[in-house]
Amino acid sequence: MLKPKWFYPSYKKDVGEWAWILHRLGGLALIFYLFLHIFVTNRLAAGPEAFNATMKALSTPLFKFLEWGLWGVILFHAFNGIRLVLVDFAGASKYQKALFWIAFVLFLALWIPAAWKFFI
Amino acid sequence: MGSGKSLVKRNKGAMAWFLQRVTALYLFVFLIAHFVIMHFVGTGEVTYETVAPRLSSPLWKAGDLLFLLFALYHGINGLWQVLEDYIRGRGLRLFLYAVVLTIAVVLLVVGTITIFSVNPVK
Repeated sequence: MLKPKWFYPSYKKDVGEWAWILHRLGGLALIFYLFLHIFVTNRLAAGPEAFNATMKALSTPLFKFLEWGLWGVILFHAFNGIRLVLVDFAGASKYQKALFWIAFVLFLALWIPAAWKFFI
Repeated sequence: MGSGKSLVKRNKGAMAWFLQRVTALYLFVFLIAHFVIMHFVGTGEVTYETVAPRLSSPLWKAGDLLFLLFALYHGINGLWQVLEDYIRGRGLRLFLYAVVLTIAVVLLVVGTITIFSVNPVK
């Protein structure tokens, strides 16, 4: 199994390790996206024509694909985040593996079918 | 974030650790609702005409202001943990953090302007 020592400082051989890596990578992608998003959303202040023109320019198939990808990153980070809150606040560390798989299934179940809305 | 190891070992990190989880719960509800309303309700096409009526209401404005603040805080706080893990040099770490924090403060202002720029048609 891949051991990115430079990226992942601690060593435990279970799904928690992968959850940690994906949570961190997803978080980095989301903060990068958030910065762009707040900037682009400010087109609202320029009025209806300007905002609609920008939205139209950002509705190409490439951007639709990226939006679907964004939804996946959000879902994984959100459900794994709830898992972390349960572990930290509700003493659920015993169940962290099971909680990971629950979070993972919820992520896939909400992400994959959502492709329908972006590509059809 | 999972470990928060490097933050928690210092006392002032405890509040950051706690707030990261509190903002997470707000973001879980509001961000998912935000994405669903924008992309899955209706045509999925984002236009001024669909967005403006919501943003014109004081309740949405309040919810969005918290959303903006919490999302930026949560992201910046997470980024600080990442920088602590990988950037050994204290000077470089603080410099990078200052850059990102500056961007975040500017975006907090930009986002707030956006929220107050959309008002009911008189």
